[in-house]
Amino acid sequence: MEEKRHTSLHYEKELQEIKNSLIYLGALTEKAIQDAMKALSERNSEMANKIIKDDDDIDKLDTELEERCIRVLALRQPTAIDLRFITTAIKITGHLERIGDMAVNIAEKAIQLNQEPQLKPYIDLPRMTDLVTTMIKDSLDSFINNDLERAEKVRRMEEVIDDLNEQIFRELLTFMMEDSKSIHRALLIMQVSKNMERIADHTKGIADMVTYMITGENVRHQTREIS
Amino acid sequence: MDANMIISLHNVNFYYGPSRALNDISMDFPEKQVTALIGPSGCGKSTLLRLLNRMNDLIIGTRVEGKVLFEGKDIYDGHVDPVEIRRKIGMVFQKPNPFPKTIYNNIAYGPKLTGANAGDLDALVEQSLKQAVLWDEVKDVLNKSAMNLSGGQQQRLCIARALAMKPDVLLMDEPTSALDPISTAKIEELIEELKKNYTIIIVTHNMQQAARISDSTAFFYIGNLIEYNKTEKIFTNPDVKQTEDYITGRFG
Ligand SMILES: Nc1ncnc2c1ncn2[C@@H]1O[C@H](COP(=O)(O)OP(=O)(O)OP(=O)(O)O)[C@@H](O)[C@H]1O
Ligand SMILES: [Mg+2]
Repeated sequence: MEEKRHTSLHYEKELQEIKNSLIYLGALTEKAIQDAMKALSERNSEMANKIIKDDDDIDKLDTELEERCIRVLALRQPTAIDLRFITTAIKITGHLERIGDMAVNIAEKAIQLNQEPQLKPYIDLPRMTDLVTTMIKDSLDSFINNDLERAEKVRRMEEVIDDLNEQIFRELLTFMMEDSKSIHRALLIMQVSKNMERIADHTKGIADMVTYMITGENVRHQTREIS
Repeated sequence: MDANMIISLHNVNFYYGPSRALNDISMDFPEKQVTALIGPSGCGKSTLLRLLNRMNDLIIGTRVEGKVLFEGKDIYDGHVDPVEIRRKIGMVFQKPNPFPKTIYNNIAYGPKLTGANAGDLDALVEQSLKQAVLWDEVKDVLNKSAMNLSGGQQQRLCIARALAMKPDVLLMDEPTSALDPISTAKIEELIEELKKNYTIIIVTHNMQQAARISDSTAFFYIGNLIEYNKTEKIFTNPDVKQTEDYITGRFG
């Protein structure tokens, strides 16, 4: 549905700029996660260090975005869809900032793992990475295009990630039981997987906010039916 | 809504001469709540407000169709006394309009006309001014002209004047549009206080004001009632797109 434009074109521009910044922030976090996985699979600690350093940019953009949203709240006193848009934007930027932190966590684990021989080839983790970056993209697309279906798709993918995470846990447990020397590395990889799973949680958080923004209904904290 | 409905409109049309200003309005006003009427200029808010206490009777060539029930009785019935209706349903206007009299007499004037006895007047004046949160500011100058008060004080005086008639309902037509923010805040605070005992129906162009002080909000557009809903609903997630476009300031 095409929205009518605001009478105030400045206001219109402020909202558009918030959208643009969120897309940019989303792109930064996607790249951070992809790079963190690369740092791990290609055993590239230099790349990992760069991710840790670049996280400052994500934090800065998050702060800026939040301030911009607060300014709109204070000066424009948005109502209805505009109010839901701004509150959603504030939440989304918070989620993206946390996703950036997860990328840093993964990069730190990669640095540690890279100092030891590789425990096993990484197969499921790159798959998880592809999935969660798609989830970030989809959750933001759903926000930009008011796309309920895409938000729902993100929620469905989150379940796939949960399953993958469990599978990785089980596999690593067998490694640990067979060889106690593998425990340290296995635990680090588990934490990488756990971080991926938390990233997926954050994208689900974004999707839930988008659903709220579009419908006005709060779907957070609803337990899914177990089929 | 469990509240008792003090005023009900059934299929009301209103005409200024040949031109229709309100189209088929049906709505109920809950007792002891604040209802806000919003909408663009000329959509019929003031017309509707004046219709509720027969103020429109004073404009020649006007005509009402449908039913306007106050406590279940049609106020446009032939044998109903409009003066009595206006006593029970008081009105406060956009511009404070005190009489060019003393503060005391502004309040006492109406009750005197309707036969209140002189002994009760002092108490009534004090009580009304206290209810309008003006007493402390004017108790020492009751015999000075009301015209010397500030705009915000004058507006509270007009509210006190309406309250002195012991109404059930207060109609307010943009009561703060001529006031500064502090006076506005005082009136809003007063409205919150008054709704414990009175039903208040207020027209306002200030969306935030409607959001702050009202329980329900009705949105009108060219003589039609577009949406009537809980205020919280209207300002967070209205049911009708037109309402949303209006309150978010999008092109009409
Ligand atoms: N005394 C009158 N004689 C003829 N037409 C009138 C009269 N008063 C209002 N109207 C017309 O009735 C319609 C509704 O007017 P009304 O004053 O009720 O609007 P409103 O919503 O209160 O607008 P505003 O926000 O500008 O006060 C308008 O088209 C107006 O021109
Ligand atoms: Mg008016």
